[in-house]
Amino acid sequence: MATVLVNGKEVEIGANERLNCIQAAAKAGEEIPAYCWHPELSVVASCRMCLVEVGDKKPDGTVAMQPKLVPGCQTPAKDGTVIISDSPKVREARKATLEYLLLNHPLDCPTCDQAGECYLQDYSFNYGRGYSRLNEPKNIKPDKEYIGDQITLFTDRCIMCTRCVRFTREISGSAELQVVSRGSHEEIDIFPGHPVNNPLAGNVVDICPVGALCSKDFLYQQRVWWLKSTNSVCPGCSTGCSVTVDQNEDRVYRLKPRPNPQAQGHFMCDEGRFGWKYSHSDQRLTSPEVRINSQVSTRDWDQTLTSARNALKKAASGKTKLAAVLSPWMTVEEAWLLGSFLKSLCSEAVLALGPVRINGQDEHFPKDVHGNPVQPTRFTIRAEKAPNRNGVQAVLSHLTGEVMPFEELLRLASAGQFSTVYLTGGDPEGWITELQAEAFSDVESVIVQDFLPSPVLQHATHVLPSGTFVEREGTIVNHRGLAQLIRRAVRGPDGSRPDTRILWELAERSGLPQTEVLRREIAAAIPALSALTQPELRDHGTLLNPSQPMLAGT
Amino acid sequence: MATFEPVLFARINKSDSASIRSYQADGGYSRLKEFLSMAPGDVTNIVKDSGLRGRGGAGFPTGLKWTFLPKDHPGPIYLAINADESEPGTFNNRYLMEKDPHQLIEGIILACHAIRSNRAYLYLRYEYGTSYRTLDAAIRECHAAGILGKNILGTGFDLDIILHRGAGAYICGEETGLIESLEGKRAWPRIKPPFPAIEGLFRKPTIVNNVETLCCVTHILYRGTEWFKSIGVPPDPSNPRDPGSYGPKLYCISGHVNRPCCVELPLGVTARELIEEHAGGVWKGRKAKAVVPGGISMGFLSDKELDTKLDFAGPGKVGCLGLGTAAVVVVDDHTSMVDVLHNCCRFMSHESCGQCTPCREGTHWMTKILDRIRSGNGRTEDLDLLLEVAGSMGIIPGTTICGLSDGAAWPVKNAINKFRPEFEDYIRSRKSSITSAQKMMAAH
Amino acid sequence: MSALSEELRQKIKAEFPKYPNKRAVTLPALHLVHDTLRAVSREAIVEIAELLELHPSEVHDTMTFYNFFKEEDNPLGKHRVWFCRSISCALRGGEELLESVCHRYGVHPGHTTPDGKFTVEFAECLGACEGAPCILVNDVCHMDMTPESTSALIDKL
Repeated sequence: MATVLVNGKEVEIGANERLNCIQAAAKAGEEIPAYCWHPELSVVASCRMCLVEVGDKKPDGTVAMQPKLVPGCQTPAKDGTVIISDSPKVREARKATLEYLLLNHPLDCPTCDQAGECYLQDYSFNYGRGYSRLNEPKNIKPDKEYIGDQITLFTDRCIMCTRCVRFTREISGSAELQVVSRGSHEEIDIFPGHPVNNPLAGNVVDICPVGALCSKDFLYQQRVWWLKSTNSVCPGCSTGCSVTVDQNEDRVYRLKPRPNPQAQGHFMCDEGRFGWKYSHSDQRLTSPEVRINSQVSTRDWDQTLTSARNALKKAASGKTKLAAVLSPWMTVEEAWLLGSFLKSLCSEAVLALGPVRINGQDEHFPKDVHGNPVQPTRFTIRAEKAPNRNGVQAVLSHLTGEVMPFEELLRLASAGQFSTVYLTGGDPEGWITELQAEAFSDVESVIVQDFLPSPVLQHATHVLPSGTFVEREGTIVNHRGLAQLIRRAVRGPDGSRPDTRILWELAERSGLPQTEVLRREIAAAIPALSALTQPELRDHGTLLNPSQPMLAGT
Repeated sequence: MATFEPVLFARINKSDSASIRSYQADGGYSRLKEFLSMAPGDVTNIVKDSGLRGRGGAGFPTGLKWTFLPKDHPGPIYLAINADESEPGTFNNRYLMEKDPHQLIEGIILACHAIRSNRAYLYLRYEYGTSYRTLDAAIRECHAAGILGKNILGTGFDLDIILHRGAGAYICGEETGLIESLEGKRAWPRIKPPFPAIEGLFRKPTIVNNVETLCCVTHILYRGTEWFKSIGVPPDPSNPRDPGSYGPKLYCISGHVNRPCCVELPLGVTARELIEEHAGGVWKGRKAKAVVPGGISMGFLSDKELDTKLDFAGPGKVGCLGLGTAAVVVVDDHTSMVDVLHNCCRFMSHESCGQCTPCREGTHWMTKILDRIRSGNGRTEDLDLLLEVAGSMGIIPGTTICGLSDGAAWPVKNAINKFRPEFEDYIRSRKSSITSAQKMMAAH
Repeated sequence: MSALSEELRQKIKAEFPKYPNKRAVTLPALHLVHDTLRAVSREAIVEIAELLELHPSEVHDTMTFYNFFKEEDNPLGKHRVWFCRSISCALRGGEELLESVCHRYGVHPGHTTPDGKFTVEFAECLGACEGAPCILVNDVCHMDMTPESTSALIDKL
């Protein structure tokens, strides 16, 4: 253990923690403002915003301070380090640095997307001067016409922290961004014809501390102070990036990565970042239906659920079997609700894992100039696009032993083995082909729980419009066994219902659907999922097997 | 005091002074084999004992710098020779490279032996084309004579010197800017630590030394530390941290003097001596108003400070930043300090690398303020603003990575503090001294 | 058609053994290309980057730092003449010397005479302050220049 003194407050730092003064001060609850420093990027110490006074406390109790200010980002916090971040000297230096940064800044906050979450605004408010002493015209550098499909650069707002340049060089490895020219003329740009279209490009918007790099998707869509953020997890692949879902009035505006050392680190890929659009698709299923001989007999939720329940019970007591497909897009709680309910109706019920979509191969970053991955890996986009195969498999293994693959269930269905099937979808890219759907053409009752149309709907007797990940709550388990919570950020379209509620009512459970209750139940029933009651689940997630090493981004 | 005999410049007026034949005829390389058979640490100790301080501007003790290298490093260790001489008013290294390249090469070989380096990179500013060709020829001569390359003079020591040409950027004279530039990057100085001796060029231990410094090394080895310490100014006994200012120094004198020149003298000569005795006095019978003591980044001496000793400690005693490159630039009493300061600020703004916020923005802002003052639109409070801006820039308050920012701020501080009435008169007169030539340059 | 001739490529490759990595050849390569082609075009940057196993943006980043290399939209003339404007030369008429040459030849700093004969540049200290005002013709310095001696020198180029 090391003891660091921050503005007179003692703070303990773990033996294996390698922290700089900014991080050590944060532990003590003291903010040291910074622009260029980012925990996942190399230290350049160039913005000079994080200057502090630093000294050493000797064993005899005396303190020797360094005469000059030093950048907190560049200075390691060790046992006996004394950090002073609130002295007049430090405040003067901050004020001066902010004045420099704002000299040529356009101050176009009313039209700037970053307003409200801008470090220039925040630090100016907290540490700045409040007025400009520049009596000469500002240097206004023209904005860039095009630097990428998803991002845009307002050059005049840039403060040259170079985080974005370092990101493309150190994390994506694609190095599209560069500094051009020198001194007060310098600016960020691409090399002509080589735009920033790498699969991680959107991160440069997040790491830009000002409004220079903006997301074209989000641009002018919403003032950030109207947005409400919900902690969740990206369901785009089995990496399971921790994210926040930013919404207003039940409309999602953006996903942002939420730093999580146990999951992906600080970043996320563009596929996930912009991959939520299907939630607001006009193709969404919004009407529960019971269909008899292709005629819709009811569009009432209660009647539909009762009818579906009856079909399941009928099959459970009949000669032919009851079967269900549990999608790897389901949460653990949903899988447990459905699986345990069907097994309670009929211990013979056949449960299969839904199709696990694999797109190509895992893509590791950074890449070298030839496109080959470079060690150490800083980020991985996984080929396995299902977010929760691990979690659903754990439930299935517990309920059925060996997990039946989807194709086997299709074969049995085609062979007329089932009278009622319960199918869950959830893959926004589609999970069943016309041909595969044919397997269910002769099944008496086909209950489909999904949020988008699919070829199997033509055979459906019951349609249960469900929710997307932004409308649901529950646990998903990533590729390395990290269980994290997705949370309900918005209400789904009228007529749809979150899956847990559908299944809760289907199973005729009493009270309101509560995932917490389900997790306690699951943890007690399934040893492999016993960690689901850990409180960390709510924050950075909990590892099902805690002996797994921490490997952010890998 | 006996008449000083030039050492570094002893040969520069000879015809053919750059050839190896001429150098050897004057005793050059004659004891190289002997020195190469000494233990490297012994060479370092000799240089350390001599009290030699770096001639590039910062005055860091050379031998001490060499001892910062990690012991028993498996290599490679590099020597980088700083020949990016770009401080306005400075041209001593150009003379050394054009007129006596072998004196430098011998110093390089000795330094590389001392630091166990087998490869030296000489970073030469592009503008020194003649130096480039002279050095290139001299290196070829050395290879032909077995003085460079494999197994030098049969001692088993190998050394190659690579000439690397810059591309017109002042900041490449900062040792880590130089290293970055050599590595093929923009010359943004590195944060320290690690210092180059631990992790420098190509992430290997590296010593960066100035051309004149290495030329001194040659003579220290041949003549001994006692000789070196017999020249210059011993440490100030009242200041235990003063290592003294030993040895000969090349002083450059330019600007408003009758005979601009570069002259070798013992450290500690005064600005007045340089002007009166070596540069033929101020031109046109005028008086000196201000004198740059060691390149513009060191600030200004006023006419009352001309007896300041130009050793490592002297300029600091009258508020200048230091001795710098010992490049003296004389400004006569017909010249406006406002215009002189503008020239300095324009230079620094042009040459700021743009990495640290205070320097990138501060140099540019100060130039803009001076532009406005020189357009007749100044306000006296601008002078306090300039002083405040200058005061918040540089590694001395701690606001920047390298010293360029200090060097940009110092002339502002000195000019306004030492010549304030002139600035105030200028501002009150509302005159404009921007020339058409300056307008033309500003447009491009 | 590549921007760099085989000869240029060979000259660049000949620099490789001098350095422990190819990136360090950036400045030598830019000089070689710039001297020969009088500008470093985008295609040339892409080809240099390929040779050095770098991204074009990395080469361009370095190149633009130095304010020395011309891009394809403003190539160098046959010669390049630099006029020092730093303190020692400015005190002795360096800026006015530049102005006189610009007027005489109808060219602006940073640009090339209409006949393509030479490009005029202002320079920060050229390191020949004992001969102020000084100029650099390509990479050869000339000292104690007057408008007349400068014109005579340029006319002989």
